[in-house]
Amino acid sequence: MKFNKCSAAFSLGVAGLLAVVAGGVMVFPTDALAQAKKKEAPLVTTGAASVTPWKRYSDWPQRDESKFNTLAKLASPPAPKEPKKISGPINGDAANGQKLVADRTRGGSCLACHVMGPAGNADLPGNVGPDLSEVGNAGREDEWLFNYVNDARVYNPETVMPPWGTHGLFNEQEINDIVAFLKTLKSPAKFRTVLDDPTKRPAPVESRDNLDDLQNPGMWMIEKAQDLWKVKGPTGSSCATCHANVAALKTWSVSMPKFEPRLDRVLGVEEFVYRHAKATTGADWLMQSNENTALAVYLRFISNGQPIHVDVSSPGAKAALARGKELSSRKLGQLNFACADCHDPSKAGLKWIRGQWLGEQKGQYDHFPTWRTSLQTVWDIRKRFQWCQVNIRADELPPDAKEYGDLELYLASVNDGLKMNVPGIRH
Amino acid sequence: MAEKPRLKVPKEAKKGEIIELKTLIAHVMETGLRKDASGAIIPRKIINKFTCEFNGKPVFSADIEPAVAANPYIQFNAKVDESGTFKFTWVDDDGTVTTTEEKITVA
Repeated sequence: MKFNKCSAAFSLGVAGLLAVVAGGVMVFPTDALAQAKKKEAPLVTTGAASVTPWKRYSDWPQRDESKFNTLAKLASPPAPKEPKKISGPINGDAANGQKLVADRTRGGSCLACHVMGPAGNADLPGNVGPDLSEVGNAGREDEWLFNYVNDARVYNPETVMPPWGTHGLFNEQEINDIVAFLKTLKSPAKFRTVLDDPTKRPAPVESRDNLDDLQNPGMWMIEKAQDLWKVKGPTGSSCATCHANVAALKTWSVSMPKFEPRLDRVLGVEEFVYRHAKATTGADWLMQSNENTALAVYLRFISNGQPIHVDVSSPGAKAALARGKELSSRKLGQLNFACADCHDPSKAGLKWIRGQWLGEQKGQYDHFPTWRTSLQTVWDIRKRFQWCQVNIRADELPPDAKEYGDLELYLASVNDGLKMNVPGIRH
Repeated sequence: MAEKPRLKVPKEAKKGEIIELKTLIAHVMETGLRKDASGAIIPRKIINKFTCEFNGKPVFSADIEPAVAANPYIQFNAKVDESGTFKFTWVDDDGTVTTTEEKITVA
Protein backbone atom coordinates (compact mmCIF):
# COMPACT_ATOMS: atom_id res chain seq x y z
CA MET A 1 0.00 0.00 0.00
CA LYS A 2 2.68 2.45 1.05
CA PHE A 3 4.89 1.32 -1.77
CA ASN A 4 2.11 1.91 -4.27
CA LYS A 5 1.54 5.46 -3.10
CA CYS A 6 5.23 6.15 -3.28
CA SER A 7 5.66 4.85 -6.78
CA ALA A 8 2.58 6.73 -7.88
CA ALA A 9 4.05 9.95 -6.55
CA PHE A 10 7.36 9.34 -8.25
CA SER A 11 5.74 8.38 -11.50
CA LEU A 12 4.10 11.80 -11.51
CA GLY A 13 7.58 13.21 -11.54
CA VAL A 14 7.24 15.16 -8.33
CA ALA A 15 10.52 16.63 -7.27
CA GLY A 16 11.49 17.02 -3.68
CA LEU A 17 9.19 14.33 -2.25
CA LEU A 18 10.35 13.64 1.24
CA ALA A 19 11.50 10.11 1.79
CA VAL A 20 13.54 9.64 4.92
CA VAL A 21 15.60 6.53 5.37
CA ALA A 22 15.53 5.63 9.03
CA GLY A 23 17.29 2.45 10.19
CA GLY A 24 16.87 0.81 6.85
CA VAL A 25 13.12 1.38 6.84
CA MET A 26 11.74 3.96 4.46
CA VAL A 27 9.42 6.36 6.29
CA PHE A 28 6.99 7.99 3.92
CA PRO A 29 5.32 11.32 4.42
CA THR A 30 1.73 11.42 5.52
CA ASP A 31 -0.95 11.65 2.86
CA ALA A 32 -1.55 15.33 3.57
CA LEU A 33 2.09 16.22 3.22
CA ALA A 34 2.46 14.18 0.04
CA GLN A 35 -0.60 15.96 -1.31
CA ALA A 36 0.83 19.34 -0.48
CA LYS A 37 4.17 18.48 -2.04
CA LYS A 38 2.50 17.26 -5.20
CA LYS A 39 0.64 20.53 -5.66
CA GLU A 40 3.50 22.86 -4.84
CA ALA A 41 4.63 24.82 -7.86
CA PRO A 42 8.41 25.01 -8.34
CA LEU A 43 9.76 28.42 -7.34
CA VAL A 44 13.16 30.00 -7.21
CA THR A 45 13.28 30.95 -3.55
CA THR A 46 16.55 32.86 -3.51
CA GLY A 47 17.46 36.28 -4.82
CA ALA A 48 15.31 39.28 -5.72
CA ALA A 49 12.48 39.22 -8.27
CA SER A 50 13.18 42.73 -9.54
CA VAL A 51 16.17 44.79 -10.60
CA THR A 52 18.72 44.91 -7.77
CA PRO A 53 19.59 47.39 -6.41
CA TRP A 54 16.28 49.00 -7.26
CA LYS A 55 16.59 52.22 -9.25
CA ARG A 56 13.63 54.54 -9.80
CA TYR A 57 12.20 54.67 -13.35
CA SER A 58 14.18 57.29 -15.28
CA ASP A 59 11.09 59.31 -16.27
CA TRP A 60 9.88 59.68 -12.67
CA PRO A 61 10.86 62.60 -10.39
CA GLN A 62 14.30 61.87 -8.96
CA ARG A 63 13.81 63.18 -5.43
CA ASP A 64 15.53 61.95 -2.30
CA GLU A 65 12.88 61.56 0.38
CA SER A 66 14.97 59.47 2.75
CA LYS A 67 14.16 61.84 5.64
CA PHE A 68 10.56 60.62 5.62
CA ASN A 69 8.63 57.41 6.32
CA THR A 70 8.37 54.69 3.71
CA LEU A 71 6.47 51.42 3.92
CA ALA A 72 9.76 49.84 5.04
CA LYS A 73 11.07 52.34 7.58
CA LEU A 74 10.04 55.11 9.96
CA ALA A 75 12.03 58.32 9.53
CA SER A 76 9.67 61.32 9.49
CA PRO A 77 10.24 64.07 12.06
CA PRO A 78 7.86 63.95 15.02
CA ALA A 79 4.79 66.19 15.23
CA PRO A 80 5.19 69.17 17.55
CA LYS A 81 3.62 68.60 20.96
CA GLU A 82 2.02 72.02 21.18
CA PRO A 83 1.02 74.88 18.90
CA LYS A 84 3.71 77.48 18.35
CA LYS A 85 2.98 80.63 20.36
CA ILE A 86 2.52 83.69 18.18
CA SER A 87 2.47 87.08 19.88
CA GLY A 88 0.80 89.87 18.01
CA PRO A 89 -0.76 89.85 14.55
CA ILE A 90 0.98 88.18 11.60
CA ASN A 91 1.97 90.67 8.94
CA GLY A 92 2.67 88.55 5.88
CA ASP A 93 2.56 89.37 2.20
CA ALA A 94 -0.94 88.34 1.14
CA ALA A 95 -0.11 88.64 -2.57
CA ASN A 96 2.78 86.21 -2.18
CA GLY A 97 0.49 83.99 -0.07
CA GLN A 98 -2.01 83.86 -2.91
CA LYS A 99 0.78 82.68 -5.23
CA LEU A 100 1.99 80.08 -2.74
CA VAL A 101 -1.42 78.45 -2.20
CA ALA A 102 -1.60 77.76 -5.93
CA ASP A 103 2.06 76.73 -6.32
CA ARG A 104 1.99 73.20 -7.64
CA THR A 105 5.71 72.67 -7.14
CA ARG A 106 5.22 72.39 -3.37
CA GLY A 107 3.36 69.13 -3.36
CA GLY A 108 0.18 69.95 -5.21
CA SER A 109 -0.94 73.30 -3.82
CA CYS A 110 -3.65 74.10 -1.27
CA LEU A 111 -6.22 74.13 -4.09
CA ALA A 112 -5.74 70.37 -4.44
CA CYS A 113 -7.93 69.97 -1.36
CA HIS A 114 -9.57 73.36 -0.68
CA VAL A 115 -11.75 75.80 -2.53
CA MET A 116 -10.07 79.15 -1.76
CA GLY A 117 -12.09 81.98 -3.25
CA PRO A 118 -10.18 83.64 -6.09
CA ALA A 119 -6.93 81.68 -5.64
CA GLY A 120 -5.77 79.94 -8.80
CA ASN A 121 -8.84 81.42 -10.54
CA ALA A 122 -10.92 78.79 -8.72
CA ASP A 123 -9.79 76.43 -11.47
CA LEU A 124 -10.79 72.85 -10.56
CA PRO A 125 -10.14 73.01 -6.82
CA GLY A 126 -10.61 69.86 -4.73
CA ASN A 127 -12.93 69.19 -1.80
CA VAL A 128 -10.94 66.97 0.55
CA GLY A 129 -10.73 69.81 3.08
CA PRO A 130 -13.27 72.50 3.92
CA ASP A 131 -14.04 75.40 1.55
CA LEU A 132 -11.84 78.24 2.82
CA SER A 133 -13.38 80.98 0.66
CA GLU A 134 -14.76 82.76 3.74
CA VAL A 135 -12.17 81.74 6.34
CA GLY A 136 -11.34 85.45 6.78
CA ASN A 137 -14.77 85.89 8.38
CA ALA A 138 -14.44 82.89 10.70
CA GLY A 139 -12.79 84.86 13.49
CA ARG A 140 -9.76 82.56 13.64
CA GLU A 141 -6.74 83.89 15.48
CA ASP A 142 -3.46 84.31 13.62
CA GLU A 143 -1.83 81.78 15.92
CA TRP A 144 -4.47 79.18 15.03
CA LEU A 145 -4.15 79.82 11.29
CA PHE A 146 -0.36 79.68 11.47
CA ASN A 147 -0.30 76.42 13.35
CA TYR A 148 -2.97 74.83 11.16
CA VAL A 149 -0.81 75.40 8.09
CA ASN A 150 2.45 74.66 9.87
CA ASP A 151 1.30 71.35 11.36
CA ALA A 152 -2.42 70.72 11.80
CA ARG A 153 -1.71 67.69 13.96
CA VAL A 154 -1.35 69.98 16.99
CA TYR A 155 -5.12 70.53 16.80
CA ASN A 156 -6.30 67.32 15.17
CA PRO A 157 -4.12 64.19 15.36
CA GLU A 158 -6.37 62.48 12.77
CA THR A 159 -5.98 65.18 10.12
CA VAL A 160 -4.98 64.26 6.56
CA MET A 161 -3.48 67.74 6.03
CA PRO A 162 0.26 67.65 5.31
CA PRO A 163 2.47 69.23 8.00
CA TRP A 164 3.66 71.94 5.62
CA GLY A 165 6.03 73.57 8.11
CA THR A 166 7.31 70.55 10.06
CA HIS A 167 8.06 68.67 6.82
CA GLY A 168 9.82 71.65 5.26
CA LEU A 169 7.49 72.38 2.35
CA PHE A 170 7.02 76.01 3.41
CA ASN A 171 9.21 78.09 5.70
CA GLU A 172 7.94 80.32 8.48
CA GLN A 173 7.83 83.49 6.36
CA GLU A 174 5.93 81.67 3.62
CA ILE A 175 3.41 80.41 6.15
CA ASN A 176 3.02 83.98 7.42
CA ASP A 177 2.27 85.05 3.84
CA ILE A 178 -0.29 82.26 3.46
CA VAL A 179 -1.95 83.30 6.75
CA ALA A 180 -2.10 86.89 5.50
CA PHE A 181 -3.82 85.68 2.33
CA LEU A 182 -6.28 83.47 4.24
CA LYS A 183 -7.38 86.52 6.26
CA THR A 184 -8.38 88.28 3.02
CA LEU A 185 -10.78 85.46 2.04
CA LYS A 186 -14.27 86.79 2.78
CA SER A 187 -16.60 85.88 -0.07
CA PRO A 188 -17.70 82.64 -1.77
CA ALA A 189 -15.67 81.42 -4.72
CA LYS A 190 -16.94 82.34 -8.17
CA PHE A 191 -16.63 79.33 -10.48
CA ARG A 192 -16.39 79.87 -14.20
CA THR A 193 -18.15 76.60 -14.96
CA VAL A 194 -20.22 74.23 -12.88
CA LEU A 195 -17.49 71.58 -13.27
CA ASP A 196 -15.03 73.82 -11.43
CA ASP A 197 -17.16 73.47 -8.30
CA PRO A 198 -16.08 70.19 -6.67
CA THR A 199 -19.40 69.82 -4.87
CA LYS A 200 -21.24 69.78 -8.20
CA ARG A 201 -18.66 67.91 -10.30
CA PRO A 202 -19.98 64.42 -11.12
CA ALA A 203 -17.81 61.40 -10.25
CA PRO A 204 -16.08 60.01 -13.35
CA VAL A 205 -17.56 56.91 -14.96
CA GLU A 206 -15.34 54.66 -17.08
CA SER A 207 -17.56 53.56 -19.94
CA ARG A 208 -15.07 52.30 -22.52
CA ASP A 209 -15.03 48.60 -23.33
CA ASN A 210 -11.72 47.63 -21.76
CA LEU A 211 -11.73 44.23 -23.47
CA ASP A 212 -11.92 45.76 -26.97
CA ASP A 213 -8.42 45.83 -28.45
CA LEU A 214 -9.30 48.91 -30.50
CA GLN A 215 -10.19 50.81 -27.34
CA ASN A 216 -7.65 49.36 -24.96
CA PRO A 217 -4.05 48.84 -26.12
CA GLY A 218 -3.56 46.92 -22.86
CA MET A 219 -5.27 44.08 -24.71
CA TRP A 220 -2.25 43.81 -26.99
CA MET A 221 -0.40 42.29 -24.06
CA ILE A 222 -2.56 39.18 -24.44
CA GLU A 223 -1.08 38.26 -27.82
CA LYS A 224 2.43 38.98 -26.55
CA ALA A 225 1.83 36.67 -23.61
CA GLN A 226 0.34 33.94 -25.79
CA ASP A 227 3.54 34.02 -27.86
CA LEU A 228 5.72 34.01 -24.75
CA TRP A 229 3.73 31.05 -23.44
CA LYS A 230 5.18 28.92 -26.25
CA VAL A 231 8.75 30.25 -26.21
CA LYS A 232 11.22 27.70 -24.85
CA GLY A 233 13.46 29.01 -22.07
CA PRO A 234 17.07 28.00 -21.34
CA THR A 235 15.90 24.65 -19.90
CA GLY A 236 14.15 23.74 -23.14
CA SER A 237 10.70 24.02 -21.57
CA SER A 238 8.06 26.64 -22.15
CA CYS A 239 4.98 27.58 -20.13
CA ALA A 240 3.01 25.39 -22.53
CA THR A 241 5.11 22.33 -21.64
CA CYS A 242 3.19 21.97 -18.36
CA HIS A 243 0.26 24.33 -18.97
CA ALA A 244 -0.96 23.37 -22.43
CA ASN A 245 -4.50 23.89 -21.21
CA VAL A 246 -4.45 27.52 -20.13
CA ALA A 247 -8.12 27.40 -19.15
CA ALA A 248 -7.14 25.14 -16.23
CA LEU A 249 -5.58 28.23 -14.65
CA LYS A 250 -8.87 30.12 -14.82
CA THR A 251 -9.29 30.46 -11.07
CA TRP A 252 -5.65 30.81 -10.15
CA SER A 253 -5.06 34.54 -10.39
CA VAL A 254 -8.17 35.43 -8.37
CA SER A 255 -6.58 33.54 -5.45
CA MET A 256 -3.47 35.73 -5.67
CA PRO A 257 -1.65 37.25 -3.87
CA LYS A 258 -0.92 34.33 -1.61
CA PHE A 259 1.26 33.80 1.43
CA GLU A 260 4.12 31.52 0.42
CA PRO A 261 5.71 29.65 3.35
CA ARG A 262 8.80 28.76 1.32
CA LEU A 263 9.66 32.45 1.07
CA ASP A 264 7.86 33.62 4.22
CA ARG A 265 6.21 36.37 2.24
CA VAL A 266 3.17 37.17 0.13
CA LEU A 267 3.60 36.57 -3.60
CA GLY A 268 1.54 38.46 -6.12
CA VAL A 269 1.03 37.23 -9.67
CA GLU A 270 4.02 39.22 -10.94
CA GLU A 271 6.54 37.92 -8.41
CA PHE A 272 5.16 34.39 -8.81
CA VAL A 273 5.61 34.60 -12.59
CA TYR A 274 9.27 35.52 -12.15
CA ARG A 275 10.06 32.87 -9.52
CA HIS A 276 8.09 30.09 -11.22
CA ALA A 277 9.36 30.75 -14.75
CA LYS A 278 12.93 30.98 -13.49
CA ALA A 279 12.53 27.59 -11.74
CA THR A 280 10.90 25.83 -14.70
CA THR A 281 11.71 27.30 -18.11
CA GLY A 282 14.70 29.28 -16.84
CA ALA A 283 13.28 32.50 -18.33
CA ASP A 284 14.45 35.67 -16.61
CA TRP A 285 11.24 37.67 -16.50
CA LEU A 286 12.02 40.16 -13.73
CA MET A 287 9.12 42.16 -12.31
CA GLN A 288 8.42 45.30 -14.38
CA SER A 289 9.93 43.73 -17.50
CA ASN A 290 7.59 43.76 -20.50
CA GLU A 291 7.45 39.97 -20.46
CA ASN A 292 6.49 39.86 -16.80
CA THR A 293 3.74 42.46 -17.22
CA ALA A 294 2.39 40.71 -20.33
CA LEU A 295 2.16 37.40 -18.46
CA ALA A 296 0.54 39.12 -15.48
CA VAL A 297 -2.10 40.66 -17.76
CA TYR A 298 -2.73 37.33 -19.49
CA LEU A 299 -2.99 35.23 -16.34
CA ARG A 300 -5.55 37.63 -14.92
CA PHE A 301 -7.31 38.03 -18.27
CA ILE A 302 -8.11 34.31 -18.33
CA SER A 303 -9.70 34.74 -14.87
CA ASN A 304 -11.98 37.54 -16.05
CA GLY A 305 -15.42 37.23 -14.53
CA GLN A 306 -14.17 35.13 -11.60
CA PRO A 307 -14.62 36.66 -8.14
CA ILE A 308 -11.47 37.74 -6.32
CA HIS A 309 -11.00 35.59 -3.25
CA VAL A 310 -7.66 35.42 -1.45
CA ASP A 311 -6.69 33.15 1.43
CA VAL A 312 -6.44 35.08 4.67
CA SER A 313 -6.92 32.13 7.00
CA SER A 314 -3.50 30.44 7.17
CA PRO A 315 -1.35 31.73 10.04
CA GLY A 316 1.16 33.29 7.65
CA ALA A 317 -1.58 34.98 5.64
CA LYS A 318 -3.32 36.24 8.77
CA ALA A 319 -0.14 37.88 9.99
CA ALA A 320 0.57 39.37 6.54
CA LEU A 321 -2.98 40.73 6.32
CA ALA A 322 -2.61 42.40 9.71
CA ARG A 323 0.69 43.94 8.62
CA GLY A 324 -0.83 45.07 5.32
CA LYS A 325 -3.76 46.72 7.07
CA GLU A 326 -1.41 48.53 9.40
CA LEU A 327 0.80 49.66 6.51
CA SER A 328 -2.26 51.05 4.74
CA SER A 329 -2.62 53.49 7.63
CA ARG A 330 1.05 54.43 7.89
CA LYS A 331 1.79 58.08 7.09
CA LEU A 332 4.38 58.23 4.32
CA GLY A 333 6.63 60.78 2.72
CA GLN A 334 6.96 64.52 2.89
CA LEU A 335 3.23 64.99 2.33
CA ASN A 336 2.53 62.56 5.17
CA PHE A 337 -0.32 60.63 3.57
CA ALA A 338 -1.36 57.08 4.36
CA CYS A 339 -3.12 54.93 1.75
CA ALA A 340 -6.24 55.22 3.89
CA ASP A 341 -6.00 59.03 4.02
CA CYS A 342 -6.72 59.29 0.30
CA HIS A 343 -8.77 56.16 -0.33
CA ASP A 344 -10.92 55.60 2.76
CA PRO A 345 -14.32 57.29 2.38
CA SER A 346 -14.14 58.34 6.06
CA LYS A 347 -11.11 60.45 5.05
CA ALA A 348 -10.47 61.77 1.51
CA GLY A 349 -11.83 58.76 -0.38
CA LEU A 350 -14.60 59.51 -2.91
CA LYS A 351 -13.62 63.17 -3.02
CA TRP A 352 -11.78 65.37 -5.49
CA ILE A 353 -8.09 66.13 -5.24
CA ARG A 354 -7.94 69.00 -7.67
CA GLY A 355 -9.39 67.51 -10.90
CA GLN A 356 -8.72 63.91 -9.91
CA TRP A 357 -11.19 61.60 -8.23
CA LEU A 358 -9.90 59.57 -5.29
CA GLY A 359 -11.45 56.12 -5.52
CA GLU A 360 -12.02 53.98 -2.45
CA GLN A 361 -9.94 50.83 -1.85
CA LYS A 362 -12.72 48.58 -3.09
CA GLY A 363 -12.50 48.81 -6.86
CA GLN A 364 -8.78 49.61 -6.90
CA TYR A 365 -7.61 46.07 -7.58
CA ASP A 366 -9.89 44.12 -9.92
CA HIS A 367 -8.69 45.93 -13.08
CA PHE A 368 -4.91 45.73 -12.53
CA PRO A 369 -2.72 45.52 -14.56
CA THR A 370 -4.41 48.43 -16.26
CA TRP A 371 -3.82 50.55 -19.37
CA ARG A 372 -3.05 54.15 -18.44
CA THR A 373 -4.36 56.40 -21.17
CA SER A 374 -2.38 59.37 -19.82
CA LEU A 375 0.90 57.45 -20.03
CA GLN A 376 0.22 55.05 -22.90
CA THR A 377 1.45 52.08 -20.92
CA VAL A 378 0.30 49.20 -18.74
CA TRP A 379 0.88 49.38 -15.00
CA ASP A 380 0.61 46.47 -12.60
CA ILE A 381 -0.52 47.03 -9.02
CA ARG A 382 3.05 47.22 -7.70
CA LYS A 383 3.93 50.05 -10.07
CA ARG A 384 0.73 51.79 -8.98
CA PHE A 385 1.86 51.43 -5.34
CA GLN A 386 5.25 52.83 -6.27
CA TRP A 387 3.77 55.84 -8.03
CA CYS A 388 1.42 56.59 -5.13
CA GLN A 389 4.48 56.86 -2.93
CA VAL A 390 6.61 58.95 -5.29
CA ASN A 391 3.59 61.19 -5.81
CA ILE A 392 3.27 61.88 -2.08
CA ARG A 393 7.01 62.46 -1.93
CA ALA A 394 8.02 59.21 -0.31
CA ASP A 395 10.72 56.84 -1.53
CA GLU A 396 9.19 53.80 -3.20
CA LEU A 397 10.27 50.22 -2.50
CA PRO A 398 11.41 47.65 -5.08
CA PRO A 399 8.41 45.98 -6.78
CA ASP A 400 9.10 42.70 -4.94
CA ALA A 401 9.26 44.32 -1.50
CA LYS A 402 7.72 42.20 1.23
CA GLU A 403 5.72 45.21 2.41
CA TYR A 404 4.02 45.49 -0.99
CA GLY A 405 3.05 41.82 -0.70
CA ASP A 406 1.41 42.52 2.67
CA LEU A 407 -0.32 45.62 1.31
CA GLU A 408 -1.49 43.83 -1.82
CA LEU A 409 -2.96 41.01 0.26
CA TYR A 410 -4.88 43.55 2.33
CA LEU A 411 -6.09 45.37 -0.79
CA ALA A 412 -7.16 42.10 -2.43
CA SER A 413 -9.07 41.12 0.73
CA VAL A 414 -10.91 44.46 0.63
CA ASN A 415 -11.79 43.70 -3.00
CA ASP A 416 -13.06 40.22 -2.14
CA GLY A 417 -15.96 39.21 -4.36
CA LEU A 418 -15.32 41.76 -7.10
CA LYS A 419 -14.98 40.13 -10.49
CA MET A 420 -11.63 40.19 -12.27
CA ASN A 421 -11.69 42.58 -15.23
CA VAL A 422 -8.22 42.83 -16.77
CA PRO A 423 -6.69 44.72 -18.48
CA GLY A 424 -8.51 47.73 -17.14
CA ILE A 425 -8.41 51.16 -18.67
CA ARG A 426 -7.87 54.28 -16.58
CA HIS A 427 -6.69 57.85 -17.02
CA MET B 1 6.11 49.34 -35.87
CA ALA B 2 6.42 46.13 -33.93
CA GLU B 3 2.70 46.10 -33.15
CA LYS B 4 0.51 44.87 -35.96
CA PRO B 5 -2.34 47.18 -36.92
CA ARG B 6 -5.75 46.38 -35.45
CA LEU B 7 -8.74 46.00 -37.74
CA LYS B 8 -12.44 45.42 -37.33
CA VAL B 9 -13.94 44.55 -40.72
CA PRO B 10 -17.01 42.34 -41.16
CA LYS B 11 -16.21 38.96 -42.74
CA GLU B 12 -19.46 38.99 -44.72
CA ALA B 13 -21.92 41.55 -46.04
CA LYS B 14 -24.93 41.79 -48.30
CA LYS B 15 -24.54 43.34 -51.76
CA GLY B 16 -24.85 47.09 -51.48
CA GLU B 17 -24.61 47.08 -47.68
CA ILE B 18 -22.88 49.97 -45.92
CA ILE B 19 -20.37 48.46 -43.52
CA GLU B 20 -18.35 50.00 -40.74
CA LEU B 21 -14.55 49.65 -40.74
CA LYS B 22 -12.41 50.33 -37.70
CA THR B 23 -8.64 50.64 -37.82
CA LEU B 24 -5.96 51.40 -35.27
CA ILE B 25 -2.19 51.47 -35.53
CA ALA B 26 0.21 51.66 -32.61
CA HIS B 27 2.28 54.79 -33.05
CA VAL B 28 3.81 57.44 -30.78
CA MET B 29 2.56 60.36 -32.98
CA GLU B 30 5.34 62.61 -31.71
CA THR B 31 4.25 66.12 -32.64
CA GLY B 32 7.68 67.71 -33.12
CA LEU B 33 6.62 70.49 -30.73
CA ARG B 34 7.71 68.89 -27.46
CA LYS B 35 11.07 69.34 -25.80
CA ASP B 36 13.06 66.74 -23.89
CA ALA B 37 14.63 67.25 -20.45
CA SER B 38 17.64 69.04 -21.96
CA GLY B 39 15.44 71.49 -23.88
CA ALA B 40 16.05 69.98 -27.32
CA ILE B 41 13.06 69.55 -29.61
CA ILE B 42 11.91 65.95 -29.92
CA PRO B 43 11.77 65.40 -33.70
CA ARG B 44 8.39 64.99 -35.30
CA LYS B 45 7.41 61.40 -36.07
CA ILE B 46 3.82 60.81 -37.03
CA ILE B 47 1.73 58.73 -39.37
CA ASN B 48 1.04 61.40 -42.01
CA LYS B 49 -1.21 59.47 -44.38
CA PHE B 50 -3.75 56.70 -44.20
CA THR B 51 -5.46 55.09 -47.18
CA CYS B 52 -7.94 52.30 -47.71
CA GLU B 53 -8.45 50.60 -51.07
CA PHE B 54 -10.96 47.96 -52.08
CA ASN B 55 -9.94 45.69 -54.97
CA GLY B 56 -7.41 48.34 -55.98
CA LYS B 57 -9.87 51.24 -55.99
CA PRO B 58 -9.61 54.02 -53.39
CA VAL B 59 -12.28 53.94 -50.66
CA PHE B 60 -11.03 56.38 -48.07
CA SER B 61 -7.89 58.37 -47.40
CA ALA B 62 -6.78 60.90 -44.82
CA ASP B 63 -3.86 63.26 -44.40
CA ILE B 64 -3.01 63.18 -40.73
CA GLU B 65 -1.60 66.13 -38.81
CA PRO B 66 0.45 66.31 -35.58
CA ALA B 67 -2.65 67.07 -33.50
CA VAL B 68 -3.82 63.46 -33.79
CA ALA B 69 -3.10 61.52 -30.60
CA ALA B 70 -0.93 58.44 -30.19
CA ASN B 71 -2.27 55.17 -31.64
CA PRO B 72 -4.47 56.80 -34.30
CA TYR B 73 -7.89 55.22 -34.51
CA ILE B 74 -9.79 55.74 -37.75
CA GLN B 75 -13.34 54.60 -38.29
CA PHE B 76 -15.27 55.01 -41.54
CA ASN B 77 -17.97 53.41 -43.65
CA ALA B 78 -17.92 51.85 -47.09
CA LYS B 79 -20.51 50.43 -49.43
CA VAL B 80 -19.64 46.97 -50.74
CA ASP B 81 -21.04 45.58 -53.99
CA GLU B 82 -18.74 42.62 -54.49
CA SER B 83 -16.45 40.24 -52.64
CA GLY B 84 -12.88 41.36 -52.38
CA THR B 85 -10.01 42.66 -50.32
CA PHE B 86 -9.61 45.85 -48.34
CA LYS B 87 -6.05 47.10 -48.28
CA PHE B 88 -5.08 49.53 -45.51
CA THR B 89 -1.90 51.62 -45.69
CA TRP B 90 -0.24 53.83 -43.10
CA VAL B 91 2.68 56.09 -44.08
CA ASP B 92 5.16 57.14 -41.41
CA ASP B 93 7.20 60.39 -41.56
CA ASP B 94 10.34 58.25 -41.71
CA GLY B 95 9.08 56.63 -44.91
CA THR B 96 7.96 53.37 -43.34
CA VAL B 97 4.84 52.06 -45.03
CA THR B 98 2.70 49.59 -43.12
CA THR B 99 0.05 47.69 -45.02
CA THR B 100 -2.46 45.07 -44.07
CA GLU B 101 -5.36 43.40 -45.85
CA GLU B 102 -8.72 41.99 -44.92
CA LYS B 103 -11.06 39.94 -47.11
CA ILE B 104 -14.83 40.28 -47.22
CA THR B 105 -17.38 37.98 -48.84
CA VAL B 106 -20.42 39.63 -50.36
CA ALA B 107 -23.42 37.38 -50.81
